[in-house]
Amino acid sequence: MITTLRLIRLMEEIISPLSDYIAREILKQPTRRIDPDEALISSGLVDSFHLVDLAVFVEEQFGVRIDDTELTADTFDSLRSLATLIADRR
Amino acid sequence: MTLTQLAVLIAIALAGGWLLPPNRRAWALALLSLLAIFWLQPAIAVRGLDFWLPTAALGLALLTWAVSRPSPQTLTRSDGIALSVVLLLVLLVALNRYLPALCCLTPGRPPQATAVITGLALISALALVGWRLRARPLTPLLAILLLVSAFLVLKSEPLARLASAALRSASGQDASLASALDLRWLGYSYLAFRLLHVLRDAQEKKHYPASLPEFLAYALFFPAYTSGPIDRLPRFLTDLRQEQRDRRQDVRAGGLRLLQGALKKYVLADTLAIFSLDPANALQVNSPMWMWLLLYAYALRLYLDFSGYTDIAIGLGRLLGIRLPENFNAPYLKTNLTGFWNAWHITLAQWFRAYFFNPLTRWLRTHPAKPPIWAIILVGQTGVMLLIGLWHGLTWNFALWGLWHAAGLFVHNRWSEWQRARGWTAPARPWQQRVLAAGGWLLTFNFVSLGWVWFALPDLQSSLHVLQALLGMKP
Repeated sequence: MITTLRLIRLMEEIISPLSDYIAREILKQPTRRIDPDEALISSGLVDSFHLVDLAVFVEEQFGVRIDDTELTADTFDSLRSLATLIADRR
Repeated sequence: MTLTQLAVLIAIALAGGWLLPPNRRAWALALLSLLAIFWLQPAIAVRGLDFWLPTAALGLALLTWAVSRPSPQTLTRSDGIALSVVLLLVLLVALNRYLPALCCLTPGRPPQATAVITGLALISALALVGWRLRARPLTPLLAILLLVSAFLVLKSEPLARLASAALRSASGQDASLASALDLRWLGYSYLAFRLLHVLRDAQEKKHYPASLPEFLAYALFFPAYTSGPIDRLPRFLTDLRQEQRDRRQDVRAGGLRLLQGALKKYVLADTLAIFSLDPANALQVNSPMWMWLLLYAYALRLYLDFSGYTDIAIGLGRLLGIRLPENFNAPYLKTNLTGFWNAWHITLAQWFRAYFFNPLTRWLRTHPAKPPIWAIILVGQTGVMLLIGLWHGLTWNFALWGLWHAAGLFVHNRWSEWQRARGWTAPARPWQQRVLAAGGWLLTFNFVSLGWVWFALPDLQSSLHVLQALLGMKP
């Protein structure tokens, strides 16, 4: 139970800044709320240029490197899957 | 690929997928694929070359496997056995020269046994040197340069002609008859990009734990050998090692996909080819209506032909329990050019994003000089689209086709950013959304179709004639 709660908190800690960054810097809609399961790449919401920016942000913010070959919808396509990837590598 | 060849490959895939136990799959796929690449290779006028090209494909795969192994690893006994079996199989194929019973395995008469043994010794020695020196940073780079150099020779008409002349002289044939067509190396464009991905990743210290049979099954996998899709090794290995799979479901899904592909390729695309734009009819038509008809027929034919081949590859793969990646996702229904390029030849576009666009953009974004965003996007997109164009051939028309799309993508990107910066949101009413989507689709489809003018015709003069006719500027 404690582990689950910690996991939920950890995910929130990661998802929240990611969501803010995408809404503010990529979509230019600071008040927009992004659903944790909303498709980011396959839907075209985040294009290939901003995907690289997102990877640079993740590296600076969380110290987690996402390789150039991993910037595809197969690796992550939502805030939740990206947060899981970051949590796994931290 | 002829219908007879397709029927034989389906029978092999069906039998292989149904009968092979999981622990024998890599071996069987490697050996079957090796035989298939000799069998599918078109006949070439230069003596022995239609035997040497598939042999060289095997050599490059062996070299890439050797160079991409992690350095503390030693050669295992099973790798040694795999190498011996593979070399023996090529020798058996070469016996086609002496045994008429093996007539259909190679398109022409293979070279003499002594020459084949020497060739096999050379490719083995090259792989062994690659293995010994793989820890040196220069080794994967040299392997990459070798693959890229061969690519440049094959894709450049003057270089291919020069190479043909040299090969003709070496085999005692008339060098004055040299032609770029002599270097029709089946599947090289796809093979090279599968191998380059492994070598680039090895440079970044990413090594994949593939045994030699597994690696050969990946590199030479016969369903995807002639026309892709360009799979990635880690994804392929996951499927190859899967022990539990629903064979009935694989046969059902694979069979349906094959049917779909055969219908697209052999019925629809081949029928459309009769009245599609080509270098012969381009200069004979002046009427805008007929020219648009030729152009739309070409656009549809190209899609149906290529995506039909992809369906066939995916269907054959599925019969064998391998789920090859998708290459198309309804590209002509997309409502903007970025959407089109996320749905057209997906595996090639992803390859160039992973190994060119992403590293370049990352480097520029973190560069202390902080170049403006628009400049980074312009450089990255132009580079990628130019490379995708030139991947089809080192000619001006493919370069122009790439630049056409680079310009379109840049304009679409700036337009989207402009809208975002002004807080533009999609209209709320469904009918407004539908009108907007229809407008976007019309614009995108016609932009892409006009781009095919550069792609379909080999010279600028013909392309300009077609564009003028399309715009009603021809009397």
